[in-house]
Amino acid sequence: MTATTPAPPAPLWGVGRYDGPDGPVTWEISHDEVHRDLGAAPATLARLGVTAGGRVLHCSLLSEAGQFFPLVIGTMFAGAQVSQADATRADATRVAMFLRLLEYDAVLGVNGAILDGLDELGVAYADAFASARVVCARPDAIARLSRAGVAACPFVLCGPAVAVASAPDAAAFVHDTEEWELGVDGAGRVTVTNLRPRATEFRAAPTAVRGSVVDGGIVLDLEGSP
Amino acid sequence: MTALPPPDSVYFDEEWETMPRARLEEEQLALLLDLLPYVYERSPLVRATWDAARVKPGDVRSLDDFREKVPFIDKDAVRRFRDERGDPYGGLLCVEPSELTAIMSTSGTTGDPTLVAERWGGGPPSRPTIVTRDFWGMGLRAGDRVALVLFTFRGPMYGLIQGLGATPVLVDYDPAEIGRLLELSVRYRPTIMYNFGNTLMSATPAAAERAGIDPKDAFSSYLGVVWAGEPLGPRARALAAEWGLPLFEHTSVGDVTASFECTAHDGLHFWEDTAFVEGIEPEATSHADAVVAPDGARCELVATALTNRVAPLIRYRSDDVVRLTREPCACGRTHARMWTVGRKSDEIVVDGRAVMPIDVWGAIETVDACALGLFQIIRPGREVDRLHLRVGYAAADAARVDAVHDEVVASVHAAIGIEPHVELVPDEQLLRLGPPHKIPRVTKR
Repeated sequence: MTATTPAPPAPLWGVGRYDGPDGPVTWEISHDEVHRDLGAAPATLARLGVTAGGRVLHCSLLSEAGQFFPLVIGTMFAGAQVSQADATRADATRVAMFLRLLEYDAVLGVNGAILDGLDELGVAYADAFASARVVCARPDAIARLSRAGVAACPFVLCGPAVAVASAPDAAAFVHDTEEWELGVDGAGRVTVTNLRPRATEFRAAPTAVRGSVVDGGIVLDLEGSP
Repeated sequence: MTALPPPDSVYFDEEWETMPRARLEEEQLALLLDLLPYVYERSPLVRATWDAARVKPGDVRSLDDFREKVPFIDKDAVRRFRDERGDPYGGLLCVEPSELTAIMSTSGTTGDPTLVAERWGGGPPSRPTIVTRDFWGMGLRAGDRVALVLFTFRGPMYGLIQGLGATPVLVDYDPAEIGRLLELSVRYRPTIMYNFGNTLMSATPAAAERAGIDPKDAFSSYLGVVWAGEPLGPRARALAAEWGLPLFEHTSVGDVTASFECTAHDGLHFWEDTAFVEGIEPEATSHADAVVAPDGARCELVATALTNRVAPLIRYRSDDVVRLTREPCACGRTHARMWTVGRKSDEIVVDGRAVMPIDVWGAIETVDACALGLFQIIRPGREVDRLHLRVGYAAADAARVDAVHDEVVASVHAAIGIEPHVELVPDEQLLRLGPPHKIPRVTKR
């Protein structure tokens, strides 16, 4: 038998990515901030009506795990079940399969790439999402879904922060307003500032999201959206 | 947090990884005898299959009984049960649906993905096995970084990395991410990369040139670079050699577990305290006429999950043709090893000659416009008069598709002596057929 010792925690929880105005931005994530986000994310899920016995399909990329992990584990904390698919054109097959076989309280993170994939499969959006009580879509998918009769709640990866609206046409709020402060820069881009210590500091850091901030929530500017 | 052995230990869990075979088989039998009545009582598919074969759990008292009496199931049976009975779990679920914490899915390479029911946490601590033992063996230690180049449909597997006290550097399995992977490799100097296959390797030289980064330097910190999904073609192997990548192959084991090469690079280990794996002659039509393949011979892999109490697969015919050996490895581990050969259903007979995707792979990717090695064999039936290939080409070569077509035809003809009918399509069109780490290499149309 080999003697063993508990693994010391790594200095960082992980290294992730978000979309900045000029392309991908790498950010370092600490254990402490993930633990805080884990504490706050269930409230966002509760606002969407996710409860024990429910089910949530998370559509994300691995590089977005820093943003999605609190929601994934928060889903379990809520007593609901987790499914995961990539937010890519190719994985639209998996999204369609999950929604065909199971009912979901919420589908989070639907984006334009998934809709492109559904188009290729010849699956109408209204049919694909019929088994989902709430669809939360990223800015590049909201208008397309709306035109197909699917009213989606805005789901915004605002750089490292996640903001979700609890109703279509409503403003999107971060999990914890004591964690992030949102603003808008001169180019109409939403900015983020961390209010508590994080491994990566954000000071009015611009993101790829365009919109305004009203009463602390993001109102998306969807003009010119596909 | 996972308990770690001393950093200089070659093994993560020496007792279990080097266990004598006789004791390993005793452990397997004990797990099986406990599992079989449990599954028979709960899994509608297993019960229906066993009842049709007139076998009960009590008929199995030894591993030989299991091999002789227990009927097979396969992916078609799971899909059929799912579709005919309206059971999304294909008749495999052994717990109440409300007990599940996650519902994931198989990759879906060979058709519609099937659901994978999971229950995370809540049970007693289990012995770390897959990935943990393998990455430790490659040299991963607490404080290291791991470049995870993956997708999400397997769930948050980065937890296994964090459990070892290492930090995951998260990268999408996408050729567009290669520039970032190179930058992060320089910045964080990870020791393990998981995973890096044909498509990504082939996209690296151009991305490295754009980023102004020397791949050999960027990749110099890696002790292990894991590749999986589909065979590495000669072009990718040459690039890996040029960059000095310490490659480790990885593959799934019949949707039951997974296997990794060790530092001896002589086959892929799977952990037999988690799975009971058999090799049968591929021609078998049922368990009644199945013949156990000799050690080291080509065989079809059949797998049984030993530690899964949620939706275990029992005697699951994988359609994967492999070679298996239970001879101890030079690394000191006693767990069996496998070598992948291909999918049984991928073989096509062209005018009397058997062809597998691997037979044409190198010929296609040696054509510069087809360097990503993206192709499909069109297989309307097992036997055809002419080999029909759909081959991807780079966007930069769109203006010279006629010349590319002729180069591919000539290259394949030179390699296998068969002149194919070649349909050229943009690389993008084939990449969309994912999952991203592999595309279906054989298609009906």
